[in-house]
This record gives sequence, structure tokens and C-alpha cells, in this order.
Amino acid sequence: MRASVLLKFAKVLLVSRLRGTRRSFVTNAITSRPIIIGLISVALFVMGLGLGWATISILISASTTASAMGQIVFTVFGGIPIFLIGFFFSMGLLWELNASSESETTDAINWLPISPSEYVLASTLSTSYTYSPLVAIALGYALPIGVLTGYTGAFILLVGVSLIAMFTGSVGVEILRSLLARASSAFSKVGGNAMVVMRILGVVVILVFTQALFSGFLVVRIISTLVGDIAATVAVPVFWPTLSITSLLGSDLLAAGVYSLLSLGFFFLLAYIAFALRSRFWITAPPSLHFSGSSSLSGASKLRWFGLSNLSIALVRREFRSATRRKEVVRLMAIPLILPVMVLFPVVFSPAPSSTSAPPVSVNPLLLAGPLLFGVGLGALFLGLTSIGQEGGRLWNIGSLPVGEAMIVKSKLMFASIIAMIGLILGLALAVVVFHMSIFDAFIFSGLGLTVVLAESSLGITVGSRYADFSEGPRPRFVTIAGSIIGSVLGIILMSVMGVVFVLMLPFSLLLFGGSTSLALIESLPFLLAGMIGLIFSRIGYRFAIGPVRGILTEIPN
Amino acid sequence: MGHNGSAVEAEHLTKFYGSVVGLSDLSLSVGRGEVRGLLGQNGSGKSTLLKSLIGLIHPTSGSARVLGLDVQKSPMEVRRSVGYVPESPRLYEFLTATEYLDFIADVRGLSFEEKKERVSRLIQALDLEGKQGDTISGYSQGMKQKVALMGAILHRPRVLLLDEPLNGLDPKSARVVKELVHSLARDGVTTVFSTHILEIAEAICDRLTILQNGRVLAEGTAQELREKAGLLGSGLEDVFLKLTGTKGVEDIVEALMG
Repeated sequence: MRASVLLKFAKVLLVSRLRGTRRSFVTNAITSRPIIIGLISVALFVMGLGLGWATISILISASTTASAMGQIVFTVFGGIPIFLIGFFFSMGLLWELNASSESETTDAINWLPISPSEYVLASTLSTSYTYSPLVAIALGYALPIGVLTGYTGAFILLVGVSLIAMFTGSVGVEILRSLLARASSAFSKVGGNAMVVMRILGVVVILVFTQALFSGFLVVRIISTLVGDIAATVAVPVFWPTLSITSLLGSDLLAAGVYSLLSLGFFFLLAYIAFALRSRFWITAPPSLHFSGSSSLSGASKLRWFGLSNLSIALVRREFRSATRRKEVVRLMAIPLILPVMVLFPVVFSPAPSSTSAPPVSVNPLLLAGPLLFGVGLGALFLGLTSIGQEGGRLWNIGSLPVGEAMIVKSKLMFASIIAMIGLILGLALAVVVFHMSIFDAFIFSGLGLTVVLAESSLGITVGSRYADFSEGPRPRFVTIAGSIIGSVLGIILMSVMGVVFVLMLPFSLLLFGGSTSLALIESLPFLLAGMIGLIFSRIGYRFAIGPVRGILTEIPN
Repeated sequence: MGHNGSAVEAEHLTKFYGSVVGLSDLSLSVGRGEVRGLLGQNGSGKSTLLKSLIGLIHPTSGSARVLGLDVQKSPMEVRRSVGYVPESPRLYEFLTATEYLDFIADVRGLSFEEKKERVSRLIQALDLEGKQGDTISGYSQGMKQKVALMGAILHRPRVLLLDEPLNGLDPKSARVVKELVHSLARDGVTTVFSTHILEIAEAICDRLTILQNGRVLAEGTAQELREKAGLLGSGLEDVFLKLTGTKGVEDIVEALMG
């Protein structure tokens, strides 16, 4: 292990990350000086000191009791480590959602005398340093609280476990990266409908599973059903740094020491797993799995049943095949599937039940459907926004064929809508199984969901074609920052309009169907009107998307 | 060196990708300072062989030695002495060329003075002056290829493995690379490179190896290959087509025209 190479490599990864993220408004001169992050950390540490001092001054002047003060220290000090683990892992996860295979592949360096463990450590250092200002402000805030309340020892331990927490979250991302790189290389060149589904589900499963693992919800739920609530917390490794602090605050030195060592051990275990996985997948493996004959030609598609022409079907088929072979696009496709699951996640897994015989959870279908449709709508919007930019130069290959711009927009719309509808149906199925939503309600929601998806996809394509970003690189954006902001704002406004129409129509519907016991019947009229709004916006979005796509096809941007 | 004085040796290398054959009982020996060209149709095993020689692919059976080192047992040692340009080089796109080469030089353990001298000389030789401060993401394919080449020869390797090194290069840079390979060979550097451009292969290679279906189909100087094909006085293209058993071009055109 060569320290100089390690640091140099970490700097290279950091600079790549900074430029890939902020290249549009920060110059290379700034991003080539990682010391700036250190200076920001110092500034935030000082700011944290000020905030911490102000907090403690207010508490002292308010004559807070010693026990209340102790409780505040307990909460702040105990909360920081678990928050840091989640934060560093989540930030890494968010990066991965948008990162291309370029950022994960080891092909750029695997021919150099750099070992897999050096790669993992450099990447972990890079992630940790990138987001280190958060650690600085947290510790700055905790310092005056610890010193002025007589918990200096606990603060010193907090510094140590915070660093462990930071590295634990960062190295966890390395495990995810190796798995995703492997999943991508295994599936990228294999054809067939089954493989398309497997690719998307593979990415979804990896992302949801790792998020669940590091959020602690799932693990706590599983363990608590087996051995009870307290033992559940104790048995979850991501809680160990927090437990070491809370044990020290509770004057249990032995437990504090044990949990500190366990935290360190957990970090080393994750690092070992990350080393092993990176070594295993150091070289991108050519695909050896063949689930179907990828060389076979396509037969007649069932999409013909929906009145689609052969040309439209060919374009939609191309969308699916090319998109599912590009990892960065597979991840975009995973978003509408992940969002509904994530929305329902805390409800499903938290709080832990007191006994395994707890009655099944029952939630108002409207409370479930709102966030669900919102999540799927955002996913559809995101797919639409990125649908033109992700094509890159390939768009002109289609442009050279006898295919009109309207046909291209339609194929993009169909692609985004089908993927988002799969997410919606999965979310509704989960709601039916877990929360006992009625099948009829689910059917009504899926109808409204279709209009939301169509409207948001159309809007996304309209904005995405006007603000397409064709630049390739480690972190392709596919849509400019301005386009992302405008698209997101308009998308949320659109869903809000539909939501407002729904809410305003509800009283009328109650008057009309007040005697009915069926929630779905009462809500059908508001659904219908909100759905019509969605369809109108969908049509408008489609019309507005054609012009910019025509412009792109006739003028190749740099 | 290998036990018979060769810098690069492959013995009975076999590589399967699932059921697909990458290499099939391939043996090869390249002498010190020799420039060896690998020829073959797409999928004949050229890239797989080069990747096996630098330890990026683990053969199903057989072994490879570079500078006397077993590639499977000592891949890091091999990589320290070898320069490699993959068929589609992956670079850190958001670094500038200077930053990228600076990183490669540090990994290779070059001193500051050596690094400075080598980087500026290579940038000048391969016509990247004035562009070295731009991020690589804005480079053309040819410019990226040049950066990859610079990275491969920066540390004065004793063995160079080049997979289609002239892809996307402009005529002047291609000429520079050809002269460079000659010059390195005079200094004792062994070069193994794959190409589809037969004229270039004939012009700069001491010996040529034609691969087909992962096997060595023929080996020798250009003249020896002509003799094997019974086409003395013919161009290398005809020799290659005859040795690889490619059916008449006229037949292929006829088939295409339906």
C-alpha cells in the first residue's frame, strides 16, 4: 500500500467527481484544488461552534435543568454518528443513481500497478472528503455543548466514532458500486425480454436492499420480531457508533469501549467485503449468461393490439433494448420503481411492532395513493426529461432513417409511460397486499395514475428536448441544470393542479354519492376530472415536444 | 527474460467466455526488441491475447510470461514494466491531459523532473500543445487515443502492448507512433500490437502472427507469409485473405446484393 499513490488517486477521483457534478458553473482552477473543501470544512466548523455556543447559552439562560441538559446532549451526541452513516451512504447512493458505467469501471486503471484494495481505499477517501464539511459542522456544533456541559470525554469519543461512521457509510457505497458494476457487465450484452426485466429488477433490488440495510428500518424490524426491541437496536451494526456514545454518557465505560471496538470492527468488515468484491470484479467480465437467443429477430409484437404501427413498435422496442443495455439509463428506469417502494418503506417497516401478533396495518387508501402517484409522476417526469439527452449522438442515427419527429416523441412517451406504470402497479400491488387496499380502489388509482404518468412524461419530454444535455462523461446529466429545475417545478405544478381539481371536486362528489359506502365511487368523479386535466396536459406536452425534437434532428449541437 | 530469451511468451493459452472460445491452445513467443503484429478478423482473439498478457483476463488454461514473470502469479510486477493501450481506452474524462499524465506518472513512480520532462516532450511530439489544459471529455477520439498512448509509454516500459493503437489518429500522429515504435525497438523495447491495417503491420513489424478462432493460423515475416500462401509478389491483403480462408470478395459482394 503506497500512501502517496493512494492520496493521488483519491484526489483524481475527487476532482473527477467535482467536475462531473458542478462543471457548468465552477472552473477547473477551483476544482483542481481539493484544499478548498478543507477550507469550507474549517469555515463550517467555526459556524458550528457558534451555533453550538448559542444553543448552550440559550439553554443556560433559560435555567434548563441538569437532567434536561443531559437529555439534549444525549440526543445530539447520539444522533450524530447514525446520521453520518446514513448521510454518507445516501449521498454515495444518490451519486450512483446518476453515475455512468464510466465512473464505476476499473478499466481506466486496472492495467496500472494499482491494487483493488488501493482503489477501494482511494474511492472511500474521496467520498469521505467530498462530504466532510458536514462532519465539520456537526462536530463544531457538538464541541461547545460537550465542553460547557462537562461531557468533554464524550466529545472526544464522538470525534472518533464520527470518523468511523463517515468511513463506514463511504465504504458501504463501495460494496454497492462493485455489485452494480458486476450486475451491469453481466447483463449488458445479453438480449431477450426476460433479461430486460432482470436488469431493471436487479438494479432495483440492489438499491432497495442496500438502502434498507443502511437505514436500519428493515433490520430492526426483522430482529425485533425475533428477540424484542432493545436487542434489535443492539444487534444492528449501524447503531453501534451511537451506542458507544450513549453508553459513555450513561457512564458505562465498558459498553462504550465494546461498542467503539464493534463499530471499528464493522467498518473493517465492510472494507474487507468491499476489497473482496472489487478484487472479484476488478476486470469487467464479458457476459457468459445467455438466457435467450439475443441474435434472434423480433417476431410480431403484442403492442399491435394497441393500434401501434410496425414503425412505432420498432422504435419502442429499440428504446427498451438500447436503454436497458446502458447502466445509467437502467438506473433512471429504476427510479419510478424505487420511489413508490421508498415512499411506503417507513410505513411498512417502522415502527417495529411490539409483538408478532400485531394486527395488519390499515391506512386510508388516499393517504397511500397520494405519495404513490406523486412518486411515480416524478419518476415519469425524470424519464421524460432525460429521454432525449441520453440518446446522445445516436439520435441522429434515427434521424437518418425515414422516421418523423412525432414518431420519435411517441416512442419516448411510450417508453417512459410503460416503465412508470410498472412502478405504479407494483406500488399498488404492495398497497393491496400490505395495507388491504381494495382491488377496485387500486384499479381506480391506476386509471388516474396513467393520466399522471402520461402528463408528466409528455412534460418531461417537452422540457428535456429543449434543454437536452448530450455531453458524455463519468456522470452524464442528459438534461441541463436549468432544464431539471424548470421541469421539476412544472411537473410539481402540474400534479398540484390535478390534486387541487381532485380536492375541489370531492365535496360535489360527496353530495352526489354521499349515500354510497364505496370510497371508490365517491372519488370516481374527482378522479375523472383530474384525469381529464392530465390527458389535456399530456396532449399539450406532446405537441410542444415535436418542435424541439425536429430542431435537434436538423441541427447537430456540439 | 523468458527461459529462451523471449520477452513475451504464451504457452497453450485457452480462454472460454461461457461456451464461446476466446483463445484456443495458443502459443506465442516474442523476442526482446521485436515488433510483433497481431492480425486477424474481428473476434479472432487479438484483444483477448493482449489482455491475457497483462493479466486482465484469466485464461481457462495455459500460462503467459512477460519479461520472465508469470502473468497470473505476478500481475502487479508485470504491469509495472509494461505499457498498455486498450482497444477503447477509458480515461478519467474530467481530468485535463496534464493532470491525467501527472497521475499516471505518480503511479509509475517517476520523479518530478523526469515526469516534467517526459510529459512536456510527449505533449509536444503528439501535437497536444495548447490543449493539454482542457478536460479530456472535450477531446476528439484521436486526441483521447494520443493521451492513452502517452500514458502507456510515459514510464519507458520494456514491453508495449497496443490494441489497435492507431484508431482515430491523424496521419501525422500515426506516423509519429510508427516511428516511435521503431525507435523503442532499437532501445530494446518489445512491442506487440494488433491492427487491421495491413500496410502498417507490414511497414513496422518484424514478424506477424495471424490469429483465427483463438488459434495461431500462421506466423512469420511478411515475406514468409507470402511464401506460405503461395502468393509471392502479392499484397499482404491477398495473403491474409487466402490464409484465413476468406471466400472470394466477389462472392461476398454477390451475396450482399442478394
